[in-house]
Amino acid sequence: MTIGTDAPPPSGPPAVSRFEYNLLRILRFLVGQMPADQAMSLVYAKLPAPPCLSKVCVRIARDTLAKAGVLHLAKSGGWRRERFLVEHRPTEGRVWERLPLEERALAFGPSPLAFLLWLTAEKPTDTADRWDAHGGLTPADELFFLMAYDQLKSEPEVALILSEKRCFRDNPLVRLAYAGDFAAPGSIAVPDFTGCFTGPRVAILECLQPVLAQRWIRSERAKGQIGDWKRMRLQGQAEFDTMRAYLKAANEARRPDLARFVMAANSILLAPPELGLGFWTGGLQGQGPARLTDRIETQRAALAFPRQLETLQGWERQARNVGYYEEGYAASQLWKADWEQAGGDGLAAKARGLVERLDPLRTG
Amino acid sequence: MSRAYRITVKESSTRELKGADEICTQLEVLEILPPEVMAELLKQELLKKGYTENPDGTLARSDGNTTVTVNPKTFEVSVKSQVGEEVVLESKRETFGYDDVGPAQQELRERLKKQIDEDLDKKAEHESERLQGQATAELEEKLCDLQPELSEVVNKVTREALKQKARQLGNIKELSEDEETGSLTIKIEV
Repeated sequence: MTIGTDAPPPSGPPAVSRFEYNLLRILRFLVGQMPADQAMSLVYAKLPAPPCLSKVCVRIARDTLAKAGVLHLAKSGGWRRERFLVEHRPTEGRVWERLPLEERALAFGPSPLAFLLWLTAEKPTDTADRWDAHGGLTPADELFFLMAYDQLKSEPEVALILSEKRCFRDNPLVRLAYAGDFAAPGSIAVPDFTGCFTGPRVAILECLQPVLAQRWIRSERAKGQIGDWKRMRLQGQAEFDTMRAYLKAANEARRPDLARFVMAANSILLAPPELGLGFWTGGLQGQGPARLTDRIETQRAALAFPRQLETLQGWERQARNVGYYEEGYAASQLWKADWEQAGGDGLAAKARGLVERLDPLRTG
Repeated sequence: MSRAYRITVKESSTRELKGADEICTQLEVLEILPPEVMAELLKQELLKKGYTENPDGTLARSDGNTTVTVNPKTFEVSVKSQVGEEVVLESKRETFGYDDVGPAQQELRERLKKQIDEDLDKKAEHESERLQGQATAELEEKLCDLQPELSEVVNKVTREALKQKARQLGNIKELSEDEETGSLTIKIEV
């Protein structure tokens, strides 16, 4: 009897090294499948990296990334029956019913795995290795880094390190969800949002609309606790620049439906009838800057998000002038319906009223 | 035997320091008539209030350290407060040196000079902050008076524009106006 050289596959879980085990656990944490208290000790630990990862580890990582990405998008909002524009025509259904498969395929590049290698090997707050992503990120990579930032931002020191890396700083999804985290004197360049309205990025944005609304609601509610005038101004300026760039790109791509999260968030934020400026600026300490113009500018910056309603109202007015025989008629009707459903005119008037209260010379 | 000597360095400096503050806003003027007509109405009202026209078409009025500038075409208003003062700053520093050990006299003088320069800069900064505070206080005080005045101007311009518009629409049968409350009632026969 001879013993064959092709041994049968081992039963039981695949074997990985300790480094790979930590890497996979950190990956599971970053995609929201493991609690932070179990994973943060691994993030802060240092472990020498192997020359390369095993096929088993790479296979498991790929599988985790693919499934987690799809699950995250489906749970975030992809499951909802909603109307979005597909080839400029309103189309209703869940995301996999609205968009063909090739528009929804998530292809990951090398950056997520490279990031995981770095995060597992190094302690992010104490390392000379300033890893960063090289080359462009695929839409799936951008989604992964958004999920990773979601999990890691609760650690302020780690979040600060991450905010300096291109894969987060120049990531349109991260900047859209956490614009205020990228505030700095001298301002950080806003990423190019024009690419967000083609290919799989469209599917990702459609799915993330409810999540983006929640992020902004949370961020706006937290402004009432900001005590530092300079920080408020920088954060507000970063938010204003980001949203202005995004809405401009959405308008040029003729995808106003992908700005729904702005209306959704504002409709909740501006709902209370007795809402005043104190909601945003009530936490500011002391007299503030010496110059009146700087104090007013800081308070205006705090209202960066509600001020975007002025742009959306401009879209609604444009939409009213689109004739039924014109190309963008169906899209304009969808936007008008969205605007009306959200009570857009009332919201815009409320936002305008808040901004006008800052004007010491208001004559209205 | 070493001998101690005292070195005194005194310096005074005259500096032109300024403090300024400014706010800009836009008047809410309804476009009842064409923009150029509304601009002319606004200009006339402002001239009555003591504003003078600049070569660039804006109207300005200065009151002490504050200047109000209005662009009648764009309805932009700028209120600027600027305070300047020639301030004499003085500083004096003393130290002791020893002729056998320690730094030489020249070096000591240079150290004192550097300390004096830093001291003068701090004093200048303090004075600038004081002037800045003064400029802001004057601006805030000015705004309290200016807001009702500009509201009145906008109200008058609006009423005048409505009257002209009414004449264009038909015969005015009745016109009642209350300057105090700013109300205007016009009955037109079309």
